[in-house]
Amino acid sequence: MKNRKIGIPRALLYYYYFPFWLKLLTELNLEPVISDSTSRELLDKGVKKSLSEICVPIKVMIGHLINLDQKEVDYIFLPRFRSIRKGVVLCPKFLGLPDMVKHSLPGLNTELISDQIDSKNDNIADYSNHQKLAAVLDIPKKEMKRALKKASEFWQRYRKLLYKGYLVDDFAKIEDIEALESLISKFETDNNLPQSKRKKIKTAGKEEIVDIALIGYVYNVFDQYINMDIINKLKEMGVRVHTFSMVAEEIIEKELSRLRKPMFWEFTNKLYGAAEHYFKNDKIDGVIHLTAFGCGPDSMLGQILEVDAKENNKAFMTLRIDEQTGESHIITRIEAFIDLLRLKKEKN
Amino acid sequence: MRLSFPYMGPTIVYKKLFELLGHDVVMPPKPNKEIIDLGVKYSPEFACFPFKVITGIYLKLMEKNVNTLVTSGGHGPCRAGYYGEVHKKILKDLGYDVEIIVIDSPHDDYKYFYDIVKRLKGDSSWFKVAKVIKTIYDLTRALDEIEKKIEVLRAYSDSGKINRIWMDAQQDFYQIKSAAEVKEIKNKYLNKLEKFKTSIPPENERYRIGIIGEIYVVLEQSINNQIEEKVNRFGFEVERSQYLTDWVRDNALPFTGKDLEEIEAKGEEFIEIEIGGHARGNIGHAIDFKEKGFDGIIHLKPFGCLPELVSQSVMDDLSEKYEIPVLTISIDEQTADANVLTRVEAFLDMIKEKDYREVM
Repeated sequence: MKNRKIGIPRALLYYYYFPFWLKLLTELNLEPVISDSTSRELLDKGVKKSLSEICVPIKVMIGHLINLDQKEVDYIFLPRFRSIRKGVVLCPKFLGLPDMVKHSLPGLNTELISDQIDSKNDNIADYSNHQKLAAVLDIPKKEMKRALKKASEFWQRYRKLLYKGYLVDDFAKIEDIEALESLISKFETDNNLPQSKRKKIKTAGKEEIVDIALIGYVYNVFDQYINMDIINKLKEMGVRVHTFSMVAEEIIEKELSRLRKPMFWEFTNKLYGAAEHYFKNDKIDGVIHLTAFGCGPDSMLGQILEVDAKENNKAFMTLRIDEQTGESHIITRIEAFIDLLRLKKEKN
Repeated sequence: MRLSFPYMGPTIVYKKLFELLGHDVVMPPKPNKEIIDLGVKYSPEFACFPFKVITGIYLKLMEKNVNTLVTSGGHGPCRAGYYGEVHKKILKDLGYDVEIIVIDSPHDDYKYFYDIVKRLKGDSSWFKVAKVIKTIYDLTRALDEIEKKIEVLRAYSDSGKINRIWMDAQQDFYQIKSAAEVKEIKNKYLNKLEKFKTSIPPENERYRIGIIGEIYVVLEQSINNQIEEKVNRFGFEVERSQYLTDWVRDNALPFTGKDLEEIEAKGEEFIEIEIGGHARGNIGHAIDFKEKGFDGIIHLKPFGCLPELVSQSVMDDLSEKYEIPVLTISIDEQTADANVLTRVEAFLDMIKEKDYREVM
């Protein structure tokens, strides 16, 4: 029997969970089909089909769904992420995403599989989170559980590498499960340190190396099109890039426990904890908050970070991206920011 | 303790509550251009509009030496539940020494809740507190009952006269001290409104518009460009999905909101799970308005409101399936009165035109 094709949009939490999904579908003898990388054309289609005032990441997601629809996949897997931590949910737009898609994209021909994800922690491998997938594709419970276990183990190996200092970027381009497996094995045994941990990196001339914490959601920080490839631009300027996914869970927990009331959105909390950690870290020269136009949780987080950065005496900049950001504006702003930090460093 | 609170809907309710508990209460200023500008200046750019308005109100109150602000919390995922925490940061950063008391659900942190209640209760006995709460609840209901009448009668009578009565009623309610007085004043004004009833046309000539949306912009006339009055002016009756009584029943009084729950559950057809704010409830109310024979829905939301964006996304489908026209209006500091008026007028014209054609 021909393998059934399951489409996965390369948007939102794809960057966090893609090894999990790739492994899961391969283990189940299904063919994962990932939508193309974000591009002008893809984004334009998404923008056209979504409400004008909704945030950019959702517009990107809509674009990817349309893209998958044209790839003639059998189903599109679009889970409804409700919670990945006890008592904390995600942004309302994640909670309502399948509803939004169902009712505002009448042209979508492919059937959606929208399992609701309610997990106690980041590891979403529970069977209850994949019941619909199993039902629609007629997969026996035992088989599903076995595949989930494999996928979960695989995802944890990837997660460990992120904690070690690798960027999601180092993996996200790969769609082939075998290539991904060999890359993960390679990194696990590699003597070379990840870029964020290396003592020496390439800089122009003998300039000081600058350490920047890039605070933002995975789908903003690692979608190279939407953020104008900011990570590579920073790297070219001789910057070691740190992101929230490198900060251990316990550190984030500790920072959060200082709040009387943590925020309601899981990833916003993660960013908060990571940012506070970086504010106090002497090795970090500056913090960039990368946020998307119309992001609600970030409007709250941004204000808090701005005040806290001031208190901690840490250089802080907010970069906002939207569907029409010009590349030169991003370059000018990060260049100016990095130059200032470098000047400060060289003076000391 | 010199306290105040954000301005939303019939503020006299909160003022009375704290006053009857024996506090020194400063009435918050009604949002106007100056306050909105002030709020916009000191709020994050992408914060929702109610947040900015409240920032402005707080800053204005700082001029009056208020040292305690009381506001409601919540457990999300709508941003409104986190306003208090961020406002604390902003005010502190601006150098104000003020305490913001956020009333969260006792489920979240029982001890914290109990401490707050004890402080707000002051020296009053629990018996008195119970009495005060009863009076306030009656007051809220009385206000809502009168307002519902106003929203109908204003469509057919001189709006100046009706508004006068409404303003006088609110003035009079300021003086009340007991539940008996609430009843007395309520009856007085219901009687005054009675004589306007003759202006209501026969059933087949009445048009009704339901207003749904985010609670702050729905309740607060001063920031939603007096949308109800505008609709009334074109000879349409108005009913909102939310009145303060509903909010109180929903949040503070258990087991009283059964009927509301039933309406809100209707939203499940379009939004499967609770996503925060009143998004799902609003969808339920829209369906409910249709079932009650309303002619159109106006959906109000602050610009960029997270839950309402989801409900807006499903609104087209709803409008088509239930054959009811829906107009969504985003409100923020740049919303111009003439813009709202034009859109409302066009929308209402369309409804009348549609009806006319169907009759022919």
